[in-house]
Amino acid sequence: MHLTQEIELFPDHRVSQMLFRDVRNAAELKQNAVEGKINGALINPTMLVSPFQVLVAASKALHLQKIGKMKTRTLYSEIIFNLSPTNNISEAFRRFGISDADDSVMVVVVHNKDEPQFVTEITSRVDGRQIPVEDVSSLSDSAKIKKLYKVTPQEEKCGSLLDAVVCRMATKDVM
Amino acid sequence: MAVSELLGKAELLKQGAEARVYRTQFLGKPTIVKERFPKRYRHPVLDEKLTQRRTVQEVRSILRCRRAGICAPVVYFVDYTSHCIFLEEILSSSTVRDHITSAQQSGSCEEAELQRLAERIGQILAQMHDEDVIHGDLTTSNMLLRSSPEGGESNLVLIDFGLSYISALPEDKGVDLYVLEKAFLSTHPNTEPLFEKLLNSYTVSSKKSSAVIKKLDEVRLRGRKRSMVG
Repeated sequence: MHLTQEIELFPDHRVSQMLFRDVRNAAELKQNAVEGKINGALINPTMLVSPFQVLVAASKALHLQKIGKMKTRTLYSEIIFNLSPTNNISEAFRRFGISDADDSVMVVVVHNKDEPQFVTEITSRVDGRQIPVEDVSSLSDSAKIKKLYKVTPQEEKCGSLLDAVVCRMATKDVM
Repeated sequence: MAVSELLGKAELLKQGAEARVYRTQFLGKPTIVKERFPKRYRHPVLDEKLTQRRTVQEVRSILRCRRAGICAPVVYFVDYTSHCIFLEEILSSSTVRDHITSAQQSGSCEEAELQRLAERIGQILAQMHDEDVIHGDLTTSNMLLRSSPEGGESNLVLIDFGLSYISALPEDKGVDLYVLEKAFLSTHPNTEPLFEKLLNSYTVSSKKSSAVIKKLDEVRLRGRKRSMVG
């Protein structure tokens, strides 16, 4: 159900993603996240096209953490910030982080390869139904994503929506 | 450094004067990494500034082209400390250069196909220049034909935006076309009519073409081994 992947740049680390729907305690989770009590990033899955999108954000966040050049204060807030096509941090949290009224959440945890307990720890705190991470596209709001990332109709000729999104995530620092 | 370790295990495809190009897997996708290595013959401060600027321009031009509907590889990640760009590897593709060369060798039955290709290249360059993107290194080796999965017409993909920049000047666009003309005619002998077709297609497709073609004619008169008499 959950997806744990290796990232080539940091072979000792793993990125685990867990997707939940019918979530009833979004407000509580958000509060806990803000207070730093959750060891993970809580993302609004309606803004996600694919788990690859999260992986790109996590890989960049880890890289920036290692070289001491993160724009936000923690690794997890950096992952959320990297998903955004703009360089405005509060806007990124608003759009990609979870809100009190959300009924679905994608949880992302970065851990070492021998630490699967982080995953089960988080899962127990979410009051909702876990579904396979690969199903995230069923929760995506393509229209909202296209609007926020400003994807042009002609751009969709050269590639998928995921391509457009990832390209902007990777290049936003210099646009 | 994580990136240099990754490159140590990657397959080196090419080494140019500017950068080394590797092939590897990145986050599960086949990826090309373009590494702009330090140039020791340059003053270090200048080298850093120039390398940084080239990396940034390359990445900006790619996104700008994609937004306008011009196919270019997706950028997955940029490491500004080692000046590495991680790009989508364009699979099932061949360069336009190889395509034209083999089409010429197999005889004149490919004539209509080449004409169509020249027309498409003209169109895509017109689109690019209308976005004020100057490629800077237009050659038939920097254009790929990617076979379409649905089996329709293949995709034209532009690559290697390493010398690209943003400019609205007809002079810069004219020079861009001149670079292509020189590269095209020297790589593919006896293709003057084909290149003319390309230019005609460009003229028809671009909204600002007349100024650009005018500049192209002026630049042609300038070139190497040309008389600079008034």
